[in-house]
Amino acid sequence: MKISYSWLHELIDLSAIGSPEKVAAVLTARGLEVEEIQSQGKGLEKVVTAKIVKKDPHPQSDRLSYCEVDVGTGKNLFIVCGATNHKQGDIVAASLVGAELPNGLKIGRSKIRGVESEGMLCSESELGMAKESEGILILPPSTPIGKPIAEILGLSDTILTLKLYANQGHFLSHIGVAREIAAHLGKKFEDARKLYQGDVKPGKFKVDLQAGADAPQFHAVEIEGVKIGPSSPEVVKRLEAIGARSINNVVDATNLVLFETGQPVHAYDADRLDGSMIGVRIAKSGEKLPLLDGTEVECTGDELVIVDGKKAVGLAGVMGGGNSEVSDSTTRLLLEVAEFSSAKVRKTKVRHQKHSEAAARFEKGIDPANNERVMRRLIELVTSSAGGKVTGGSHVKAVDTAKRTAITLPFDYCTNYLGFDVSKDKVASILRGLECDVVETSGAFSITPPSYRHDLNIKQDLTEEVARTIGYDAIPSTVPVLSSAPQARSSADFIFLNRAKEAFVRQGLSETINYSFRSKSELELLGMKSTAKLLNPLSEAYEFLVPSLIPGLLENLRESTRKHFGSDALALPIFEIRPTFHHPENAPIEVKSNSDTGVTEQWKVAFLLSGPESSVRLSSEDRLYDFYDAKGVVTGFFEQLGTKGLRMLGLDQSRSKSALHANLHPGQSAILLLGNQEIGAFGRLHPKIEKAEKFKSPVWIGEWDFEALKKMSRGSYAAKTFEPWADTPPIERDFAFLLDGSVKADAVIAAIQKAGKPLLKSARVFDRYQGGQVAAGKVSLAFRTLFRDDTRALTDAEVEPLSAAIIAAVTKEFGAELR
Amino acid sequence: MIDQIQRLGEKALAAVESATGVSVLEEIRISILGKKGELSECLRGLAQLSALERPKVGAAANEWKTKIETALSAKKALFDEQALAETLKRETIDLTLPARRHRLGALHPITQTTRRIVEIFSKLGFDLMTGPEVETDYMCFEAVNIPADHPARDMQDTFFLGTGVLLRTQTTSIQTRALRSQSYPVRIICPGAVYRNDHDATHSPMFHQVEGLFVDRGVKMSDLKGTLEFFAREIFGEKVGIRLRPSYFPFVEPGAEVDVSCFRCAGKDASCRVCKGTGWLEILGAGMVHPRLLELAGYPADEVSGFAFGMGIDRIAMILHEISDLRLMFSGESRFVSQFSSP
Repeated sequence: MKISYSWLHELIDLSAIGSPEKVAAVLTARGLEVEEIQSQGKGLEKVVTAKIVKKDPHPQSDRLSYCEVDVGTGKNLFIVCGATNHKQGDIVAASLVGAELPNGLKIGRSKIRGVESEGMLCSESELGMAKESEGILILPPSTPIGKPIAEILGLSDTILTLKLYANQGHFLSHIGVAREIAAHLGKKFEDARKLYQGDVKPGKFKVDLQAGADAPQFHAVEIEGVKIGPSSPEVVKRLEAIGARSINNVVDATNLVLFETGQPVHAYDADRLDGSMIGVRIAKSGEKLPLLDGTEVECTGDELVIVDGKKAVGLAGVMGGGNSEVSDSTTRLLLEVAEFSSAKVRKTKVRHQKHSEAAARFEKGIDPANNERVMRRLIELVTSSAGGKVTGGSHVKAVDTAKRTAITLPFDYCTNYLGFDVSKDKVASILRGLECDVVETSGAFSITPPSYRHDLNIKQDLTEEVARTIGYDAIPSTVPVLSSAPQARSSADFIFLNRAKEAFVRQGLSETINYSFRSKSELELLGMKSTAKLLNPLSEAYEFLVPSLIPGLLENLRESTRKHFGSDALALPIFEIRPTFHHPENAPIEVKSNSDTGVTEQWKVAFLLSGPESSVRLSSEDRLYDFYDAKGVVTGFFEQLGTKGLRMLGLDQSRSKSALHANLHPGQSAILLLGNQEIGAFGRLHPKIEKAEKFKSPVWIGEWDFEALKKMSRGSYAAKTFEPWADTPPIERDFAFLLDGSVKADAVIAAIQKAGKPLLKSARVFDRYQGGQVAAGKVSLAFRTLFRDDTRALTDAEVEPLSAAIIAAVTKEFGAELR
Repeated sequence: MIDQIQRLGEKALAAVESATGVSVLEEIRISILGKKGELSECLRGLAQLSALERPKVGAAANEWKTKIETALSAKKALFDEQALAETLKRETIDLTLPARRHRLGALHPITQTTRRIVEIFSKLGFDLMTGPEVETDYMCFEAVNIPADHPARDMQDTFFLGTGVLLRTQTTSIQTRALRSQSYPVRIICPGAVYRNDHDATHSPMFHQVEGLFVDRGVKMSDLKGTLEFFAREIFGEKVGIRLRPSYFPFVEPGAEVDVSCFRCAGKDASCRVCKGTGWLEILGAGMVHPRLLELAGYPADEVSGFAFGMGIDRIAMILHEISDLRLMFSGESRFVSQFSSP
């Protein structure tokens, strides 16, 4: 909300505070945050009125003129001007050398086409008066010369922009702010504005309230003989200063009242109202109503409407009707000052998206005790600018909303709640300063807040008033006392989550965080379907809650590829651990209970590897991420979490079908099992997708369930058990077998382990060779085995039979040939 | 004979001095000190000398032997040293070629900041609590004193999934769940993703908040200030201070906006990148828990009181790391995510 400093000063003397900046500081400290202070004359300090004494053509240009201007100093200036709308004798605005105009333009002594110019003649836009303008500003011939332009144009005001909260409706007016200033100064705010003092006899119009507590009171006054015309320049200036638009003298008067008092009011053309009747009722469903802004609303049957004898003439509290508005030919007015239910106005405003100044005030609550006074102020402003005479009126109250219940505030409450001593007298004087009625009872105050303070309902509200008046700086710092030992039960999940993230980081992967929503096409690319759609997404790109984290990671790769201009060097080792969202398909999403949405969140773990495996190295050492890197990441991850029972099964050997499988290379991917439960899969992105996306190097992805993993892992607080080793010397034996190309290394190792019992401690593949001397379709696999007895040194003779048994077993089981 | 030994010795020393390599030294050693060497030959004549002369000549010969041996080994050491120096020189490599490094992974700055915040509050005895991101209208709004027609709903543009089902706009919903699942004392810190229908350089449709809640008998507003002062100093450094300003959040009363003095310039630099010259960073909203929240959760609102606070994790991460565009946080850009391997 914008506050005019000069307007505020008319309501309360600000000289004791001094300047707009100081007033802003006072308001901010009291909780009325001043976001911006705008001085209207800023940038115009070196712009003065000047008379064009002589206008000559520029010697070098047909478009430019060369003007001699009198700026009231006795020494004429010579200024080159590009405009064409001026002539000799005109009074204009001249910016002098050294001026820095509101648009940032700096005026210096300059040569324009070889001729020296000692300033600039300004247009309205250059003076900050208009966004666009044509030609330079020509002032009335009677304008004195050599005066600051800001003074001549009356641009001496300062505008404070306040950022007000939803519970600060009582500050949405100049009087509301003036009351705060008065409280700060320790004075009582007196409204000295001129009011209509005449009698108001019952008029022709009947007021009919049909909405009960939703429209508690309505005040209507008839005025005859008004003349609609433009408002005075002062009124126009005042309204424009705070960002409002001048319409005509009557509408402007209603707006002045709104910005002055915070009470929205309305003026109808009485001749356009049917049946000498005005009233309020609940709208009928389907009822149509043209509005002042040129639109038409169709009511749902929930709104409050203002009606005459025949039709709806206004959306109560939100906007007047287009069928009863004041026009140039209006001579009879019906003025309205009324009260409407905050909830009703808000609902209507939201439903029809009409964010009017009136709605912004009614939805937060107006002063129900002030209708009479506001009406008298409105009559005064209307008749003083548009003429006319009050012919009658009536003020109908259906429900009295002005009476407030008293709040009990124990004398020591503020001290105990805020944590520093606030005396009883101080509390009383602060609240009285805020126009509360303060009565002392035994041990406590009984406090009745003023009718306009809808935000004061409980003792904590009053405590805030006391605290903000004293200033929050007075609150000391204390450390809260723990009344019981700290607990850490629920921190366990957080610890586990972080451990899981670190299990990736240690392996060189970096964490990404993606939005929980993605586009339909991104999901479709992977054959995925979301069961949770946003009703009001930001755009199509963010419409569906994700069933999987893979679409996000692929988007990261796509985006990074794009930002790297397709460079081969892009390496993207990333992971994400976040929830995915699921809801039973085809069932509407609706709340099941206060705590149940029906949507389940399943946390998942996902990773992606693509590009060069290492960071900067010589190209001879370079290689791309491959399957075994991905396998290493997966096994390293589970090992670090102490997960038991992880198994991998080639995708081609698995019968299970999850949404992810169709997106994986069938020969270079595996499903992950914990015990017998499938928890996810990893492997190469299907080449058809790699190709469609134009990814430059193979993409390795993986995703698995986080919750299942958590169950099968060491708890957050359980420590890894130390595994001792034996110090006896081992005996190593290497075997190289020529095998059929389809034999898997794992199967051979299993056979070796079985045959090597009981002394065999480990067996692993250390070489794999195809081609060359190895026949086509065959593969040479070399295994390193290690034998040991934990209690003594072994002899070769003891290992020999086991070695022979291994060779026999592998030869027999796989038709292998020892090389 | 002594003279002969001396000449021999001087000749040998001269030869050692002018030797050009280890092999030459060996030749000298053999020709002088070897079994058939000149000195040995010379000493064979010792037997013919008188008993009186013999020890003198013997001593002189031994003296010269030692001298020559010393000279030989000194010279040899010199040659060895030279040879080593040459080897070392030959083995010198180009140190400026790139290091063979393992790639360092990094936690997202939001994760790192969340962890720092959680650690700080755990020192004060706060336990961690999380909750669902898809929430009921009740938990997100009704239970925190924002009924359906409340103007405060305008403060947050909400994403809806269905009737009464939304993406939480604030982690306050975790507080409401916590209050319903335990009795006082409650001391929890609640981080998580939240969602609002807004997108530009400083607003993201998904971002992160952390809220804290402390409910017990006799909790005062000064406890809130002390807690947040401790937090500010732990995260931004010993020298910062905090400032509370009156503000409004429907779930607290009194409410406060909390500013932290600029840790970089302390308000002394008008062109400071961190505080934009204001000297203050607006990072927290806080206040005393509104009794309505306690009542709705079934607490004896007259017996207990509490404070609550909330802040944007992303905003704090942006301040700490001087990240200017929030959207980068969610870009997954390789150059962004890999940058934060050091805190």
